[in-house]
Amino acid sequence: MTGHLALSARGVQMEYRDRGTGKRLLAIESVDLDVPDGAFVSLLGPSGCGKSTFLKIVNGLLLATAGEIKLHRVAKGREDAMVFQDASLFPWYSVLDNVAYGLVCAGVPRKEARVRAAPYIDLVGLQGFADKYPYQLSGGMQQRANLARALAVDAAILLMDEPFAALDAQTREVMQAELLRIWNTARKTVLFVTHQIDEAVYLSDRVVVMAARPGRVVADITIDLPRPRALAVKRTPEFAAYEEQIWRLIQHDRAPSAGEPTP
Amino acid sequence: MILGRIARVNERVFYGVLGFVGLALVWETTANLGLYRKSLLSTPSAIWKAAVTDFGSGTIWPHITTSLEEFAIGFFVSLVVAIPLGLAIGWFRRVDYSTSALLAALNATPNVALIPLIVLIAGIGLESKVIVVFLSAFFAVMVTTSAGVQSIARRHLEITRSFGGSQWLAFRTVALPSTLPFILSGIRIGAGRALVGVVSAEFLSANKGLGFYIGLTGSFLDTSRVMLGIVLFGVFGVVLGELLRVIERRFEIWRPDIRS
Amino acid sequence: MTQHAATAEAFRTIRPRVRRPRHPLVRFYRRNERMVLSAAGVVLFFAAWQLGSMAGVIDPYFFSSPTAIVAAGAREVQVPRFWNDVKISALELGVGSFAAVIVAVPLGIAIGWYRRISYTFDPWMNFFNALPRVALVPLVVLWAGLGPEMKAVIVFLGGFFSIILPTVEGVRTVERSLLDVSRSFRARERLIFTSLVIPGTLPFIASGMRVAVGRVLAGVIIAEFYAQTSGIGVMVARSAATQQPDRMLFGVLIFTLLGLLLTEVVGSGERYLQRWRPSIDLEEAA
Repeated sequence: MTGHLALSARGVQMEYRDRGTGKRLLAIESVDLDVPDGAFVSLLGPSGCGKSTFLKIVNGLLLATAGEIKLHRVAKGREDAMVFQDASLFPWYSVLDNVAYGLVCAGVPRKEARVRAAPYIDLVGLQGFADKYPYQLSGGMQQRANLARALAVDAAILLMDEPFAALDAQTREVMQAELLRIWNTARKTVLFVTHQIDEAVYLSDRVVVMAARPGRVVADITIDLPRPRALAVKRTPEFAAYEEQIWRLIQHDRAPSAGEPTP
Repeated sequence: MILGRIARVNERVFYGVLGFVGLALVWETTANLGLYRKSLLSTPSAIWKAAVTDFGSGTIWPHITTSLEEFAIGFFVSLVVAIPLGLAIGWFRRVDYSTSALLAALNATPNVALIPLIVLIAGIGLESKVIVVFLSAFFAVMVTTSAGVQSIARRHLEITRSFGGSQWLAFRTVALPSTLPFILSGIRIGAGRALVGVVSAEFLSANKGLGFYIGLTGSFLDTSRVMLGIVLFGVFGVVLGELLRVIERRFEIWRPDIRS
Repeated sequence: MTQHAATAEAFRTIRPRVRRPRHPLVRFYRRNERMVLSAAGVVLFFAAWQLGSMAGVIDPYFFSSPTAIVAAGAREVQVPRFWNDVKISALELGVGSFAAVIVAVPLGIAIGWYRRISYTFDPWMNFFNALPRVALVPLVVLWAGLGPEMKAVIVFLGGFFSIILPTVEGVRTVERSLLDVSRSFRARERLIFTSLVIPGTLPFIASGMRVAVGRVLAGVIIAEFYAQTSGIGVMVARSAATQQPDRMLFGVLIFTLLGLLLTEVVGSGERYLQRWRPSIDLEEAA
């Protein structure tokens, strides 16, 4: 940990205008966020809170309508790399070529890219599958390859957009533990988007809770559980306390229904 | 019984072959029983005899090779033009918009209607047939290619952008592989249309070729030879179609996920 | 607002999007890009054709020019023989197409319903569908003479096979996917038929009709080229023979416009019926 910020966002806003009605929709009202180098930070919230939108703005897939984001510049390569949710491997490429693709995009010649990508295939636990094709892999394995591709470009920040959402519950838990193991070795800064409370608490140093309509940050909770974290930590009372705290925050911020007292 | 087992293993093939053989038998027997005049439709046996004669004497070969030659050249040229054009139309929105009206009009015009004009310009030899073949195959190949580009999974293009790849890289590494299954489909459909085109054009004005053969024998009321020409056409079509289907199936796995 | 923890050069800044106000013409273009560009394409094409013809770059003897075609058309519509040709061609087209639809649809549904029968007929239907009708013209002439009946038959054949194949396919598709559900509820056969099969097959039938448009028009032309009595196709052939490219292209234009009109009519009918179907079928697109 070098003590500086990997990412610093101020006043980020995303506004859409409906072409037909002319109405303005604020996907993100105003987000300020500081992420220290090497931290694992989750963006947690219901659908429509702008968490994925924010991630895409950082990655450059979308342009914000206001606000600035500063990313700590790295010596070579990109500052950020994205891990997508699903359908993200090219069916016409082998696993190795898929994992090497991020490097190819950065201008690295294919041969060299393959050499540089190979160790990451082992790192994510896909040893021996380098020559297989995506259709031969299970969902969990495909996500590992996804992760390997993002790791291979050696970016400072890993952006993960609900990467385990399309997996079944058991595979998801295994992948969460795997992710922590890999993160321990690779030691990147991670910005992780999810809508699952237990996932956010288990993985992160900090959970940034967001709410929808308009998208905004409502809380920034530091998770003080010791590392390394085994899956068993999910059954501890401390873990449950964090979950409870976050759950209340999310409930609190929903529009109150008729019988509830207005906060 | 063995037949029963075959029937269950692949119903489609079994009944298909049954239908084929059955109809041929019905055809032969009804003709021989005098249920209708043989000259109207000929019979399988007469067609076979005509085949043996014409293949044996070699009179039919020049027609077959001419047709194949016209088909091959015209089809190849149509691929060279239609595939890049289809890719451009699918990839560049502006190319699509500016050519859409003109191509729609061209597609709505039956190719047959243009044959007199083509013959007027290019004569009744090889060139005019090549042009007709080109026109027949062009549309199918171009439309399927552009449809293929337009159905590229948006996620896949996002990935290239996400990792900082150029549009050109995205085209090479995402668009082309993703579109290939569609291009192959288009080639198969276009080949069928091209075969129809070459025979139609030869029939209407030529002095060689399978279509001409059919027209000539037809004018002499030689039904057997007309049917022979039709059968040969059918054989070409099926063989070519199956060959192309095999190649197409090999790349099925590259089709983009409908979900994305 | 907290200060950033490091100096400015060590960071890459992601800035927001700047929305500049646009000239109204640009805004109009952006909103109607497709219309503007396709119109521009058409205009450019005709302008190039006209100018090329006048400059001699394109041989007007072969290709004529837009103005010449319009002039030829203006002359034609004043001649009664032209309208007689239109009537004959329309009759051949109408009767043949109508017959194709009312025979192909019920027959297709019947064949498709019984899976094994459809398998038996499949090779033959595919064979005849792929066959160039020119090859059948001599035979049809043998059976039906050289008059409008023969032409209607050729038109019929094109429409019939284009419609029956997708109809059979449609019934088979419905059978595979939906009937398990209704059979598990023990619905009566007729109920299955009216509430599932017919609506499920309609989109297939509509797409078959779209393909049929091109084939029935081609049928009129093929038949009229062969047996030259009267009709617009005959007009095209005769104009070519008498070296009147402008009149010939006017005839072709009639078929083009008719083709566009019919395709649009059937196409909108098909779109209406396909509201709930998400997939793309390549054979139809081509």
